[in-house]
Amino acid sequence: MNTCISCGVELEDGIEVCPLCGKSPGDKNSPVNVQGDNPSDIIAFNKKENRKHLWELGGIIAFSSIAVCTIVDLLISRKPDWSLYSDVSVLALWLTLTLILFARTRMFLFFSGLMVIVLSTLLAFDLIDTGPDWFFPVGLPLAISSSFAAWLIVLLCKKARFKGFNIIAAALIILAGLTILTELVLDNYYHGMTDLRWSLIAAVSALPVALILSFYHYRLKKGKQLDSFFHV
Amino acid sequence: MSKDLTLVFRLTAVLKEPVRYQSLKEAVEITSRRFPYFSVSLGSGFFWHFLELNDLPPRIQAEEEIPCRAFATGRKNEVLYRILAKGKRISVEFIHILTDGSGAMEYLKSLLYTYFKIAGKQISETGDIMLPETEITEEEYEDGYNKFFQKLPAPEKLLKAWHLPFRLNEKPRLRTINAEVSVKEMLNVSRRYKVSLTEYFVSVYHYSLQEIFVSSRKNSRKKIRKVLRVQVPVNMRNKLPARTMRNFSLFVMPEIDLRLGTFTFDEILRAVHHQLQLSSDIKQISRFLSSNVSYEKLFLVRILPLFIKKMAIAAIYKGLGSKRLTGTFTNLGSVSLPSEMEDLIDYFNLIPPPPNTSVKVSAGVISYKDKLVVCFSNISRSRELERLILGHFIKDGIHVKILNNN
Repeated sequence: MNTCISCGVELEDGIEVCPLCGKSPGDKNSPVNVQGDNPSDIIAFNKKENRKHLWELGGIIAFSSIAVCTIVDLLISRKPDWSLYSDVSVLALWLTLTLILFARTRMFLFFSGLMVIVLSTLLAFDLIDTGPDWFFPVGLPLAISSSFAAWLIVLLCKKARFKGFNIIAAALIILAGLTILTELVLDNYYHGMTDLRWSLIAAVSALPVALILSFYHYRLKKGKQLDSFFHV
Repeated sequence: MSKDLTLVFRLTAVLKEPVRYQSLKEAVEITSRRFPYFSVSLGSGFFWHFLELNDLPPRIQAEEEIPCRAFATGRKNEVLYRILAKGKRISVEFIHILTDGSGAMEYLKSLLYTYFKIAGKQISETGDIMLPETEITEEEYEDGYNKFFQKLPAPEKLLKAWHLPFRLNEKPRLRTINAEVSVKEMLNVSRRYKVSLTEYFVSVYHYSLQEIFVSSRKNSRKKIRKVLRVQVPVNMRNKLPARTMRNFSLFVMPEIDLRLGTFTFDEILRAVHHQLQLSSDIKQISRFLSSNVSYEKLFLVRILPLFIKKMAIAAIYKGLGSKRLTGTFTNLGSVSLPSEMEDLIDYFNLIPPPPNTSVKVSAGVISYKDKLVVCFSNISRSRELERLILGHFIKDGIHVKILNNN
């Protein structure tokens, strides 16, 4: 009498593999069916497959768009002109989609990759315009600081024990710093000197809001979660 | 009805000796004359499909690997049922348009009786078998739905049900797993829980679905909980004074609302028991009969050309019909035969029609003497539901034997 050790069912003569678990009877360690035993494995397997299909579809659409724009541009302008902008944009979008699909759970890789894409896109736009001009003095510092700010906010969200108004307060402070940095960079590029105006007003306005939110979070509603407050 | 959603089910009798083709051929010719209402082919009119009487006997063919294949519609020389044979097995495949499990079983019993007689077996008692020489009554031709139709309030609207998250097989999709359990053991366990065999099976079905639901949501961010609903056909001949051989079955649909939380097996047993008792009441179930027939009687529906009806039905089925159910379970009950025939047959099997792409797995059971055969029709790549259901039986002390499909 053949009995599957894994499932406990008897197998009629002639059945060599248990149709329920895919294992040979009497062998607990033999390989299982491709998708695994656990339904959550099956869901994970499905999601992985779906992501792959979505990426392939995105690639087909992106490269078709690039080909169409380039051909139309060559037919009209006789040389690559406006299509260079659309081609670079579409390529950047597809690379971003790739990151979202395959690296969104690996934060360092995701943000590093995103920063590389943004920097490359900005550099490409600058080169298409008139050669290297605004990229190094403006694009590079602003892109790096924006990516760093975004990374910091996400890191705070991940690490914070209570995700309440404290997160919004911290994000406001980070954004205040970013606005000041933006004005500094733009002032230096356009005027060759520093004269802080609008960014200081924005930063000073954000600061009391951040303080009120922090007070509300730490003193009044200790540990109130954002999702329960907004009923997300 | 399509190439995948064939609406075809199979009933098999596994004999103790190999089948003799010549005897079977003769038996089929004789038996088919006793059941003339089955000898029809499907025709298409301008307003409706219609069944066209056809004197030809059904085809006898070798059993195929994939069961319940579609019948060719519009082919005038083919009736909507077929006979299959392989080794010790005689099977009949019927399309649900023609009849239900009970009607098909009457045919199979009559065919087996005639086959054994021709094969030289001594059978003196005939029991309740519809013998070839008996008179065909008008009642056997009747349309039970129309005969017992009365205008009643429509049943309550049902919420969309949760569906198994499994990937589908490549076409042809249908695969089956057959398992044999002891009727006595199954009844003992059911009695221990103070429910009927059907109630016990449906409860195990629900509990296994719930386990898959919980497991599939373990790593998911989706928190939406839904309803688990299993469709259980009811033989209306047991509820109303009908002797028709045409399709005359309706459904009850016990459900577990997972929005209320996760249920223990005892809670599911209680819920299924009470829901089956209440909803199989003739007054409640007549509402489904009324609702089904009402659409046919609507003047607007009657005057719509067939191709528009087909499109509308396909859209309604896709949008509503297939979304209301999580699973289906058919219990054809116990087969009784005269004692002299009993020793010639090992067991019976019922393969339910291929489930749709939302339901993915359906189950059918039939019992004969002490053998209850469970058949799962599955169009997905996973065998998890079958493993959980049969695993539950084993935990309850029921011995399970997986049968060889060959």
